[in-house]
Amino acid sequence: MRADLRSPSSIRERGDPSLATLIQQVINGLSLGSVYALIAVGYSLVYSILLFSNFAHGGFLVIGGYICYGTLRAFGTGIWMSGVLALAGAGLAAVLTERLAYRPIRERTNVTLYLLIASMGMSIVIENIFVIVAGGRFRALPPVIPTAPVNLMGLATTSAFDLLSLVSAVVFLGALQLFLSKTRWGLAIRAAAYDLRTAGLMGVNVNLLISIVFFVAGALAAVGGIFLSVRYTLYPQLGAITIKAFVAAVIGGLGSLPGAVVGSLILGLAEMLTAGFISSQMRDLVVFSLLVITLLVKPTGLFGKSVSEKV
Amino acid sequence: MSGYTEGIIILLCINAIAAMGVSLLTGFTGIFSLGHAAYMALGAYTTAILTVQHGIHWLPAILLGGVVAVAVAYFIGVPTLKLMGDYYAIASIGLGEAIRLILENWQSVTRGARGYPGIDPYTTLPVALAFFVVLAAFMFNLINSRFGRACKACRDDYIASSLLGFHTARIRVLSLMISAFYCGVSGALLGGFLSFIQPVMFDMLKSTELTAVVVFGGLGSMSGSILGTAVITLVTELFRPISQYRMLIYGAVLVVIMVLRPEGIMGNREFLSWVKAPFRRRA
Amino acid sequence: MSAFFELSGVTKNFGGVQAVSKMTFSMEKGELAGLMGPNGAGKTTIFNLVTGVYDPDEGSILFKGENLVPLKTYQVTARGVARTFQNLRLFQRSTVLENVMTAAQHHVPYSFVEGITHLGRWRSGENAIREKSMALLDRVGLADRAEQAAGTLPYGHQRRLEIARALALDPELLLLDEPAAGMNAEEVTSLNVLIREIHRDFGLTTLVIEHHMDLVMEICPHIICMNFGAKIAEGTPDEIQNHPEVLKAYLGEEEDE
Repeated sequence: MRADLRSPSSIRERGDPSLATLIQQVINGLSLGSVYALIAVGYSLVYSILLFSNFAHGGFLVIGGYICYGTLRAFGTGIWMSGVLALAGAGLAAVLTERLAYRPIRERTNVTLYLLIASMGMSIVIENIFVIVAGGRFRALPPVIPTAPVNLMGLATTSAFDLLSLVSAVVFLGALQLFLSKTRWGLAIRAAAYDLRTAGLMGVNVNLLISIVFFVAGALAAVGGIFLSVRYTLYPQLGAITIKAFVAAVIGGLGSLPGAVVGSLILGLAEMLTAGFISSQMRDLVVFSLLVITLLVKPTGLFGKSVSEKV
Repeated sequence: MSGYTEGIIILLCINAIAAMGVSLLTGFTGIFSLGHAAYMALGAYTTAILTVQHGIHWLPAILLGGVVAVAVAYFIGVPTLKLMGDYYAIASIGLGEAIRLILENWQSVTRGARGYPGIDPYTTLPVALAFFVVLAAFMFNLINSRFGRACKACRDDYIASSLLGFHTARIRVLSLMISAFYCGVSGALLGGFLSFIQPVMFDMLKSTELTAVVVFGGLGSMSGSILGTAVITLVTELFRPISQYRMLIYGAVLVVIMVLRPEGIMGNREFLSWVKAPFRRRA
Repeated sequence: MSAFFELSGVTKNFGGVQAVSKMTFSMEKGELAGLMGPNGAGKTTIFNLVTGVYDPDEGSILFKGENLVPLKTYQVTARGVARTFQNLRLFQRSTVLENVMTAAQHHVPYSFVEGITHLGRWRSGENAIREKSMALLDRVGLADRAEQAAGTLPYGHQRRLEIARALALDPELLLLDEPAAGMNAEEVTSLNVLIREIHRDFGLTTLVIEHHMDLVMEICPHIICMNFGAKIAEGTPDEIQNHPEVLKAYLGEEEDE
């Protein structure tokens, strides 16, 4: 049954089911978008400091998912404990990745192409470590995150999971915002995002700052990973979904954190509305079309800064 | 020569042709693309459809496969090559995936995700070798000509190049078109070798493999790309029993090379001095 | 009849900062002129405006009677304008010779097909490009380093290489952006000689940006002085040296810098 989206009145005329679907898909879209936002923000944060795309970001997501799953299954710890472990583990993995793979390259040359390639390599390494160690099976997380249906004022039903992921995203992103605006390191990071070298000259320990940024990015990705593994089950290639977060970050503007959030919400909505009203197959195509349109019309995205080279 | 050895050599030729295309684009023109397997797919599917459903002879069909890849590259390239660095890399991932998705879902034409069987096995050893030799000759000639220098200028300093009179946008598009042709032909030959093609054969894994090979051989060395192909193709065959480790090794290779020796095996040197400058006069 | 090279009322703002303000000056064909001014005066911005890297907000830039403003950078170069860079933009990974050949090849065309087949005019073309490049390298004293990677040259030699590369474009207007930056007194002297020889032998209209008062005062009979994006003085070295505005701009700076 196709919904007529031309005018609100026609929706009402057709009766509640279409409106319900619309509301459902909007909430779905926002929920999915908020998870994308967690991933995209971390990715954009790294980009804003180092001006390169860390393609291994998806790996941190997967690490978070598996640590959560592993501790839940093996040690029977509660979701809170597992969550904390997952965040810490992913954050640590991110810091290690930076130390081992990126820093040596960064210190020797300023050719970002080498970093891009190395990040691609790390992405493959992380994914395949899990393929080998954990196997390619799809694993369902134990049902510690509520997924019961919730009735919204009689207009539509949604699941507790969607509401929860929305709320969690808001909480984490809010915490990030506080960190960036109210703490000394947050200030240092914002300064570094503006000009890394000058921040270093002003006395900021650049290497430590970059490690902190990577830790935060990894932790945020882990939260996203946990929610994604509930939504889609857990498997090593789950990290591939990060490409959508990349697209969201580009749409919002690479390097802009509010942009990453806005872009993610737009993407989540676009995906879910397409899935709900057109077809599920077209979802991904819509995602990539949005990417191409953005790159053609305004490559710097909605809020991105254009970095121009000094001639 | 056993059938197995023949098969390895054919596979080497096929992979080397695609590698040369990616080498020109990434190693010589400095454009990092992660969606190049899509051009292989375009070539493979075009040729498969032409030979199987329209009974066209494989030789023109292969060339047409290359042409289709070039055409798509042109239309995609002109708008997107204005982007630099990371932006283009992400765009190329998106475009590569989009093309694969289209191939998977356009069931009436491509028979979808299950694949396209029954392709005539036209890629025999002489055919593969002939294509390789001819295309390699053209490529080495190309990089040793004014066009090669133009590509390297765009790679090394985009701004200085335009201030030295180069129409950088046009050079980048041309480089993309040529690399698309090589990948298209490679894909077409692959179809004729396996008699079967599937969209998943041309996914981001394949694109990454192509880039890994070029990086391993040395960005800026065409001989290095061919050498890299040989090494990785042979290693893949040797490690077939533990192929799950294959991808892990690719990834590790990329990281290790970038950290330890970003210039790869060959740096930007070529094998034979005749490639560099046949008429070098000691001034 | 308009001058060979003329800026009229050229203005450029960068988000509120006025980098260049109503800049007007002209050069006759074959002149050797200097563009002077303290750091941040807007000298390099002028070069960027002329070569099409930036578009001016106002004003025109006439070269041989044609306005360069609507042209793209590669088109400006094709009209006969070449430049060097304040921060050097050599192709580091290529050899010294290749750097020059990359510029020289513009005037020795052969087709794409000839390029991939190495037939037809490829051989004669490559030889011509190579010969011309070696001659230029010889001119700047780098012929013996032709096969060295450009990035491994000593700093002073890299600057000479950039000049050779710019000359390979067969320009009619040569813009040199701080060619003596980072050089010691001896190197500056030999650079002076080189610039004067090139100007004389190639009959090139040359505009030199320089911070070094010595270089500019000694070799340029026509000097334009800028500060804060605007012209503050124009004339002969004597006139400039005693100009009150110039002294004010450089107040505190040592003359032998």
